Amino acid sequence: MRILDLLRMSLGSLLKRKFRTVLTVLGVMIGTASIVVMISLGLGINRAQMENIERFGGLTTIEVWEGRKTNTRTSGVSAVSVIGSASSSSSSSASRDNVMRLDDEVVETLKEIPYVENAYPLLRFDAIAKYGIYEGDLSLVGIPQEGLAQQHIEIGEGHLPESSDELEFFYGNEVALNFYNPKTYEYPYWSTGEAVVDPYKDTLFIIFDREAYINSQHDGKVLPPKKYIIKTAGVEKANEEGRWSTNGYQVFCNLDALVTTLKRIFRNKVIPGQPSTSGGKPYKKIYYSTINVNVDDVEHVMEVQEQIKALGYEASSNIEWIESTRQEMANTQAMLGGIGAVSLLVAAIGITNTMMMSIYERTKEIGVMKVLGCDMRNIQALFLIEAAYIGFLGGVAGLGLSYAISSVVNRVLAAGGESTVTSYIPLWLAGAALIFAVIIGMVAGFFPSRRAMKLSPLAAIRNE
Amino acid sequence: MAMADTRRPVIQVKDLYKVYRVGDTRVRALNGVDFEIYKGEFCSIVGTSGSGKSTLLNMLAGLEKPTKGEIVIAGEHIEKKNENQLVRFRREHIGFIFQSFNLMATMTALENVALPLTFQGVQKERRLKKAGELLDLVGLKKYKKHRPTQMSGGQQQRVGVARALVVNPEIIFADEPTGNLDSNTSEEVMRLMQKVVREQNQTLVMVTHDNHLASFADRIFHIMDGKIVQIEDNRAHRSGDNREMSDGGRI
Repeated sequence: MRILDLLRMSLGSLLKRKFRTVLTVLGVMIGTASIVVMISLGLGINRAQMENIERFGGLTTIEVWEGRKTNTRTSGVSAVSVIGSASSSSSSSASRDNVMRLDDEVVETLKEIPYVENAYPLLRFDAIAKYGIYEGDLSLVGIPQEGLAQQHIEIGEGHLPESSDELEFFYGNEVALNFYNPKTYEYPYWSTGEAVVDPYKDTLFIIFDREAYINSQHDGKVLPPKKYIIKTAGVEKANEEGRWSTNGYQVFCNLDALVTTLKRIFRNKVIPGQPSTSGGKPYKKIYYSTINVNVDDVEHVMEVQEQIKALGYEASSNIEWIESTRQEMANTQAMLGGIGAVSLLVAAIGITNTMMMSIYERTKEIGVMKVLGCDMRNIQALFLIEAAYIGFLGGVAGLGLSYAISSVVNRVLAAGGESTVTSYIPLWLAGAALIFAVIIGMVAGFFPSRRAMKLSPLAAIRNE
Repeated sequence: MAMADTRRPVIQVKDLYKVYRVGDTRVRALNGVDFEIYKGEFCSIVGTSGSGKSTLLNMLAGLEKPTKGEIVIAGEHIEKKNENQLVRFRREHIGFIFQSFNLMATMTALENVALPLTFQGVQKERRLKKAGELLDLVGLKKYKKHRPTQMSGGQQQRVGVARALVVNPEIIFADEPTGNLDSNTSEEVMRLMQKVVREQNQTLVMVTHDNHLASFADRIFHIMDGKIVQIEDNRAHRSGDNREMSDGGRI
């Protein structure tokens, strides 16, 4: 028989029993939809997490902190074996108290590691900003110009700090929300919902010497430290509803400008957060809080991270928790998919049942076809195709249902402010679901189709 | 016998046995049957219910396996074929007319007639053209688009006859073809079959329990208790029939 004739005949007998066909298709539809929706939720959660990670600085960035020398010998040896120049830098940057501090030399060392594209230092410094009776804590982050571009900052007003000579601040979008009244410890934003200050328009007084300021507050005899007015370069774009920014609480500025300013303010004194000599004197150079290392490819992140640790520094990257999240995700998805698979299994049994009934009803018809010379394989094909049609129709209907459910779920989640977790059906999932439904149909129809093939042609002769 | 040798036998049956086991007893449905049927003959097999006539037909059409013996149709041994080969053999060489017509309810008369050609894998246009010609032949020109439920029993059986003819078979088997029809319609269908045999030079073997209907055939095989007891040549009695006569079977 021709394939077109097979397809037409199968469709004909399927349409002859419309009600039963619709019921069976309904079963497959529900099965397919539950699998697709479950997987789509898994994919949506997965994608939302990936986006989160992306906002945290991506997967190729390794954050390096100062390390503590615990067993110098082994780490030193392995460091030397990794990169030749490691010995000199590690010895120079390790101070007497056995802390592996981060300085410019370390930055250069890290840049030497294979697969590292670039590395830049960050200096964090806590300051206080005053506006009228309110004050707020500022987490200053000094970054070189090339690093600033990688912070995924969305500019609301103004621009990012550009000058390396003059200190300019760029405020995260939540800094202004945390101004409080130090007398009453009231946070106006949390009671009124309005920020008391707009760093872009209002003038803030910045206090760099927190210790002196706090002392002056408690002891009226101590003079308060000098306040500074720092130019505002810009502010971060306000958060969309339900979203938040990793940069929200930070104040970005140019690293060189920050270092220059701090050195000027704390002339001949130890800058807070910086180490001092045994005599309590400041070092000439500045030690950084962290160094960000960019690796060329996700595949190499773990390797580079191990090398950095071998040098004696602390290092971490999103890869670490991505691995565990990935495992977790796989588990969740397997579980959700399993629920769907059970309903599809039930649907498959439904197909088998329908096909068996159909074959019992059509025993005579099959017999006639055999008497008239229809090939055994064609008879089997007719029933397999019929089952495949049921799978296909159920798959198509199930996909339609899935898209509907998916959009409802997304709308509900968006209304609940959880716009990051979405159900998401990519094209490959739709295609795979359809193929899977057809295969399920054919598998379910296989046994009945064999049965039909083996029916005796004598049934055609029998007269009831 | 001398004349029979000059003609080609379409069916040769030699020493055919069929034994059924019913409980502990063995029932001989066919108990040694021999005959030959020639090209262009209309033969009927007559017998009472349980005489073995249906069993004989089933075995001739390859629907049941004989216990012993040989069936040669168009030079091929039917009893040696497996089911797949039998199906293919029927598809190419055999037409079948059923008692209860057995038309496909979802198909039109035209599609029903074309069905065996569909099984052969003939292109749609060609098979519908051929089916149309045969419906014209059986006098159903106006009923091509009708479904079985929209036709009378006689018309349905005409469709059945056309379907049996469509593959241009070596031989046509008819199993009580008028069993579900009233006597007038039965005679019409019998005359149609007679006409087809003559005009198309077809060979037709019909099974019936009705002696009157059997008499439409050229030769009548009387079967009783699994044995052919008499072969009656009908052509000698008929006037206006200038066909040559045969001396009948060998019994």
